[in-house]
Amino acid sequence: MMRFSIILVAIMAALAVFLPFLLPWDYTQIDWDGVSMDITSYEAWQRGHYLGSDDIGRDRLARILAGTRITMSVALAAALVAMLIGISWGIIAGWIGGRTDDIMMRIVDALYALPFMFIVIILMVVFGRSILLIFIGIGAVEWLTMARVVRAEVKAIKVRPFILAAEASGASSLSIILRHILPNIMGVAIAYLMLTVPQVVMVESFLSFLGLGVQEPMTSLGILVNEGAAQMEINPAALLLPGGILIILIISLTIAGERLRDRINAGNIGPNIGAS
Amino acid sequence: MVRLILRRLWMAIPTLFAIIIISFLLMRFAPGGPFDGERPLSSETKAALENSYGLDKPIWEQIMLYIGRILQGDFGPSLIYRDFTVNELIAQGLPVSLLIGGLALVLASIIGISGGLIAASKAGKAIDEILMLFATLLTALPTFVTGPLLVLIFAFTLGWFPVSGMDDGISWLVLPVIALSLPITGAIIKLVRAGLAVQLSQDHLRSAKARGLSPLKRLFRHALRPALVPAASYLGPAAAGLLTGAVVIETIFGLPGLGRYFVQGALNRDYPLVLGVVTLYASFIIAFNLLADIIYGWLDPRMRDS
Repeated sequence: MMRFSIILVAIMAALAVFLPFLLPWDYTQIDWDGVSMDITSYEAWQRGHYLGSDDIGRDRLARILAGTRITMSVALAAALVAMLIGISWGIIAGWIGGRTDDIMMRIVDALYALPFMFIVIILMVVFGRSILLIFIGIGAVEWLTMARVVRAEVKAIKVRPFILAAEASGASSLSIILRHILPNIMGVAIAYLMLTVPQVVMVESFLSFLGLGVQEPMTSLGILVNEGAAQMEINPAALLLPGGILIILIISLTIAGERLRDRINAGNIGPNIGAS
Repeated sequence: MVRLILRRLWMAIPTLFAIIIISFLLMRFAPGGPFDGERPLSSETKAALENSYGLDKPIWEQIMLYIGRILQGDFGPSLIYRDFTVNELIAQGLPVSLLIGGLALVLASIIGISGGLIAASKAGKAIDEILMLFATLLTALPTFVTGPLLVLIFAFTLGWFPVSGMDDGISWLVLPVIALSLPITGAIIKLVRAGLAVQLSQDHLRSAKARGLSPLKRLFRHALRPALVPAASYLGPAAAGLLTGAVVIETIFGLPGLGRYFVQGALNRDYPLVLGVVTLYASFIIAFNLLADIIYGWLDPRMRDS
């Protein structure tokens, strides 16, 4: 199941990156003579619109591929931002411990309870809608779980003999963290990165759906779903195609992430993780 | 227990103020203002407008004034819907949002708890696997895809329910409530299943079995109550999920709820409206977390002292 979902995501990524080179139309290019072409029409196929064209004559296949590509790259970048914040926060809290740990984790608890989506919406409205801001904004929201998990791992690793040995041999905190803690938490961190990616895909599409995320002429799956929803009565394919791809993407990523997490958690019970 | 609730309430106050101040500053530092229309206003008109809405005062004074007015229950006038105060807009939108949000939460709890019960009592069997896969699917489906899909199938194709808007009947409620409840249902199934799995392996359940209690009695009398604790702790995030979901659902189904006002307000830079809705949302989420604590205490008496 996990392998299958990862392969599926990889295929989608590869198609989104490479297939556009083989298409006759660019995703922003307007075909004045081929507006609103149906998926089933022979003429659309003849003109090179293999999945039809939208209401201003842009190629649907090219747009879906571009949307997938942008959604995936925004999600990956935002998840990396979240991982960076989460790992730093978790390591600091877990390593220092005591009062600092208490306060830092209390902050995480408090942030969990906030209507963060609304703060992100305000952010998007306030500071123009640049793609950079989208992933910083989303990343700044999605780091909480990562921080919790990393902190728990650090607390567990901190008391193990090899850390004591490093301390006894006079290694500084920084070098212990970089050389011993970090490599040991990377497995868990990557599993949670995998789980953060679908979350971020959802947030990004949600923002784009509301018109607050990625802006024209760029496109994303959220925008395409929104456009499709507006014309689903006459042209269901406009909604079903991007919606279906978005669902498959989120589900595959979620399943892959959950399985990976379960595997790593299971491995943690035994002594083999990080021992090599 | 009372002390715990009072302490939580006490802690909620700075959180609420922090949210108000952050949102206030964000909105105010935004480039572009509410009076930037297609036709630029003369500088005197603009100054007069800003003066009448208090926008020309120093920022801290504005914040203090604003918080003072909120404490009196007044969110001020809307800048875009000129003839309405924010209170009036909230009074219009809130009942709609509460209705669909409340129904969605009830629906999700009923289906989620039953689903979790069935999965846990048939642990390892095919039905368990199917239910868990179903739950993963539900949590992974974004409302802005399921909403239009439901409309496409049940409104356009089958014609069972209205496409959008609201009327005097109840059929308009069906699709928005279902769409809103789906992701929460999935999460509750997972949480109840996990909670029950832990409880069912406990010693007291083994001895209940040894005493000859029927499986149903063991499940409902002994395992269910403590197993609901993880699901109860999900109430806070569920409330947040309902609120964000409602933004999308109200947009898709054209319902005049709070979420729509929030998005419209944000796009039009209607500061008082956005701040009013955010304040209300934050209070809601804090209230739900408090409710979760109270339910905790009811489900697990040990929590009452801590």
